[in-house]
Amino acid sequence: MTADLLLQASDLGYSAGGRRILDHVSFELRAGQITTIIGPNGAGKSTLANIVTGLITGFEGRIEQRPGLRIGYLPQKVYVNRLMPLTVGRLLQLTQRAGNHEISAALAQTGVAHLGGRQVHSLSEGELKRVLLARSTLGNPDLIVLDEPTAGVDVTGEIRMYELISELRSRLQCSVLLVSHDLHLVMSQTDQVLCLNQHLCCSGQPESVSQHPEYLALFGQSTADSIAIYTHRHDHVHDVSGEPARHSHD
Amino acid sequence: MTEWLDSFLLRSLLAGLIMIAIAAPMGCLMVWQRLAFLSDTLGHAAVFGVGLGLMLQLMPILGVLAVALLIVFALNRVSHFNSALSETTLVIISHTGLAGGIILVGLSPARTLELESILFGDLLATTAADLLSISLTALVLLLILLRHWRAFVAVSVSREIAQAEGIEVRRVQLLMYAMIALLVAVMMKVMGVLLIGAMLVIPTTSARLFSRSPEQMVAISALFGVGALAGGLGSSYHFDWQTGPAIVVCATALLLLTLAVTRIVRFQVE
Repeated sequence: MTADLLLQASDLGYSAGGRRILDHVSFELRAGQITTIIGPNGAGKSTLANIVTGLITGFEGRIEQRPGLRIGYLPQKVYVNRLMPLTVGRLLQLTQRAGNHEISAALAQTGVAHLGGRQVHSLSEGELKRVLLARSTLGNPDLIVLDEPTAGVDVTGEIRMYELISELRSRLQCSVLLVSHDLHLVMSQTDQVLCLNQHLCCSGQPESVSQHPEYLALFGQSTADSIAIYTHRHDHVHDVSGEPARHSHD
Repeated sequence: MTEWLDSFLLRSLLAGLIMIAIAAPMGCLMVWQRLAFLSDTLGHAAVFGVGLGLMLQLMPILGVLAVALLIVFALNRVSHFNSALSETTLVIISHTGLAGGIILVGLSPARTLELESILFGDLLATTAADLLSISLTALVLLLILLRHWRAFVAVSVSREIAQAEGIEVRRVQLLMYAMIALLVAVMMKVMGVLLIGAMLVIPTTSARLFSRSPEQMVAISALFGVGALAGGLGSSYHFDWQTGPAIVVCATALLLLTLAVTRIVRFQVE
């Protein structure tokens, strides 16, 4: 494996309950890159992410990881049992110990430093997503796997979330694997797109994928156009409350 | 040392305290992982283990442990990674175990065990040997809990996160099941198979009202457990109530009292 190669998946396949979910999927994850898995509902996006994180075993094909690869993970849904008392600070230390300073720094990165002492149950869905994003960055992971990090977040919050992910990648020098269905919002922040519909329809840089015949067959010409429009219009950011804020775009 | 262990009241108090020390963390984990019902199932099925032990002329506790372990390993195989154990399966195992166990105990030639003491336990009849076996089991369980506490809590919060970040969730789960089986086997002597679940769940629920962290909940739940034990032993002594049921009734009385007090306090604050 070359130095910047974090993970290499060769010819992955997976069936469950008599249904074929993934077939002949191969890809590479490289250091410092954002890779986005897109595809329609039921395309096997989460399954693929779960194979990468080790949640799903018994798949066909091979996954080679750089030895000692550290993964941070943000699942699609987290239901914390109400019978479990848990502060945000403790949630961040779920699988590893961390100092107060580290915890507040991680929370500050995603703009939720003020939530450190709150009970997890009292958070709104958007707040919980930000806390979980902060959590996935603790302990300097090499790879952060984010499964639909914006589910339950409003549209302006979504745009901010993707910018946040892009900022985190630059700051932490880590690789990001993102599962998403918000195509037009994701594309502009992505280095590599894996367009999935059981098999890998196409993959590569966002511009080339968005013109690929299989991609167009899945998502239609209008979506492809809106991506182009969105990347040009992207000249401001929204803060948490959705107000446009001045922003130097470089 | 051995002299004051001769006092039956002291022996039962000690056995009760040791049981609470281990029931508090185990009970919390079971409530967090929605396994509360599993203790009931294992408790009921334990009667079958007792019956089996009698038939084969083994120590009843060995029969119980064998049956409980068999059940948890079977459940571990059929349960999917992310789904809670099916209630229906648990109810079927629970009552079949109880029914089969009662038949076996009835058939057993040497009627050395009273059915009543299996079902409701007999804290006051704790022998020095019982005390020793309870202490050793509790010690083993506590050491495992201390060593793997972070993993147990992580799995309780999110199996997905735990697995992705390097915790072997299935192994932790299996260990947890085996520990519950062991716990049920030793608690049977003290609380009886029908009341084990109560001691794992009721003090824990009271503790939830005041806790801000998992560890706090364990500590407070132990305090509620001690309260229930003291009340139960006291009322058993004074009013001649059966000890196990008296402890459970006291635990519930404490829970209701706590609920009422927290309601009133909150009402006045608002």
